[in-house]
Amino acid sequence: MSAIVKHAFLQRLLRVPPAYLVFVILLVTLWIARPHMLNANIMGIFIRQVAPLGVLVLAQLLVMRVKSIDLSGGGIILLVNYFISSGIFPGATIPFYIGLSLATGIMIGLFNGWMIGKRRVSAVIVTLAVNIILVGFVQYLSSGKPPGDVPSYLNEIYNIKWGPVPAPVLFWFVLTVIMALFLSKTVYGRYVTAVGENPEAAHFSGVPVERTVILAHTLAGFIAAVAALVQTASIAVGSVRVGLDLPIMAVAATILGGVVFGRGEGGVWGPFFGVLSFALLFVVMTTFGIDDPGKLIAQGLIILLAATFYGMRTTKSN
Amino acid sequence: MLPMLLAIGIAVFLGIRTDQFLGSENIFNLIAQAMPLIITAIGQMFVVLVGGLDLSVGSLISFTTAILALDAPGYVTIPAVFLFAALIGISNGLVITRLNVHPIIATLAMQYVILGITRILRPVSGGTVPDIVIDSIAGSFLGIPMPVFWGLLVILVAWKLLHGSRFGLHLFAIGGGVANSTPDAARNFGVADKRNILLAYVACSCFAALAGVFLAGRIVSGDPNVGLLFELDAITAVAVGGTQLSGGIGSLQGTVIGALVLALLSNGMNLTNVSPFIQTAIKGGLLLLVVGLQTRKKIGL
Repeated sequence: MSAIVKHAFLQRLLRVPPAYLVFVILLVTLWIARPHMLNANIMGIFIRQVAPLGVLVLAQLLVMRVKSIDLSGGGIILLVNYFISSGIFPGATIPFYIGLSLATGIMIGLFNGWMIGKRRVSAVIVTLAVNIILVGFVQYLSSGKPPGDVPSYLNEIYNIKWGPVPAPVLFWFVLTVIMALFLSKTVYGRYVTAVGENPEAAHFSGVPVERTVILAHTLAGFIAAVAALVQTASIAVGSVRVGLDLPIMAVAATILGGVVFGRGEGGVWGPFFGVLSFALLFVVMTTFGIDDPGKLIAQGLIILLAATFYGMRTTKSN
Repeated sequence: MLPMLLAIGIAVFLGIRTDQFLGSENIFNLIAQAMPLIITAIGQMFVVLVGGLDLSVGSLISFTTAILALDAPGYVTIPAVFLFAALIGISNGLVITRLNVHPIIATLAMQYVILGITRILRPVSGGTVPDIVIDSIAGSFLGIPMPVFWGLLVILVAWKLLHGSRFGLHLFAIGGGVANSTPDAARNFGVADKRNILLAYVACSCFAALAGVFLAGRIVSGDPNVGLLFELDAITAVAVGGTQLSGGIGSLQGTVIGALVLALLSNGMNLTNVSPFIQTAIKGGLLLLVVGLQTRKKIGL
């Protein structure tokens, strides 16, 4: 067994994030089973649906690079959706909504970061707790009912298309490019890599570990707020359920893309393809008539298999 | 000590504020309400002690009620429930110890798989559970309601496992090492760490299944959403009870008291008509507060 695993070609193959492989397999499956679906316009619509997830994944990969996790995205999406759809700010303009949403995201992210970086509380516990507080709060404010409608211009922006490329997809792509440059070209990007590799070694080399973690979470809150705006524009109505499963799908897509707690081999594009794989997966599962419970099982198995894939490699290197 | 005072404080406050609280009906009702949480929290404590976390218990509880509500006799479904729970515990444990997956990721993935299977088995709540399950919860023996005996039995078993056996001692040893960033410490002293961690996950799943059986007897049907957010309540109860989430430190009585604090809190909020949404938020705040007061060295997850 170990002789096979040590083979150079296989070693190389194992270094490719599973997202690319899954993406190709799904594409081929779809091509064989439903060739007429592979049309730029149809695919554009499917990919547009995962744009909020794609943006949220950028937040998740940033915090997972510093060995943390953020599960509070669902609460942030719900809160931003409530701000915009409930009409509690009569006469508010679009810059006000955007400013308010981003400020909320930053505040929540900063709080998460402070608890995790300074108080050293487990990131899962903090962000899960923040998530249920936000969800409970929004559901209380709206008495469990969908609050209202979203101003129509948000949905109009969402529906713009350049050729077959929808605006949200382009927006997501541009954000991903920015994130890729941010992580590879700036000093902060180097700090993120260093902290992810080994926090103690980073600390003794003069990397401000706490500040890096806090900033990562603050940025994650900011990006989650951006994802919330995209999500709100996409559904165009108020809701008390939207986006609750997005954080966990973001974790799945990030792991699938080769970014696992401190190990950043997948870069930014691995998770990008992880999200695309999810878009295709839902198309494939829908065309084969698998419904929601099946999708839950598939999500769980994907997380498990992708994590196992990396876990086994860690065992080998020890 | 502090959680104990907190529990007494809430109880006294409720006794003064509301008339219903001290009635024997409400007290027994409270015990029955608290029991699933107490059982789940005790199970959760096993994995928290070794520095792990099991997020799959909530959906395992729903899964248990769904299995019990299947159209099959009790002598098939009840053993089946524990068999499945053991299998889930074993696969959690194997994935975590042998395949090096982080406990949170492994159990999170398991949570989704179980939730999906539960929704296939029972898309909406319904069905009937075997009579023996209902009788063992609704009935009374020697004039004392059955939930009291459930509580005593569970606490005795857990006491034996945690504080009266080599297994429990080894769990504390492994957790102590993990908390002090020397995860090999216990193994270097000859403790079979991987096997014991695996058994801790099996114990956690079995306790969760037991809580599921109890809950199924209470609601007399299967419900795919009954265990929703139960894992968070269990973790909160464990943390309130003074168990360190980084591992190694904790006690059974603390966990039981922690679960009682939570049960008293929700009983009190129900009696004073607090909105269920706000109740969720308050529980989240409590969890945040308790873990915020604990200290640990590790940063991140």
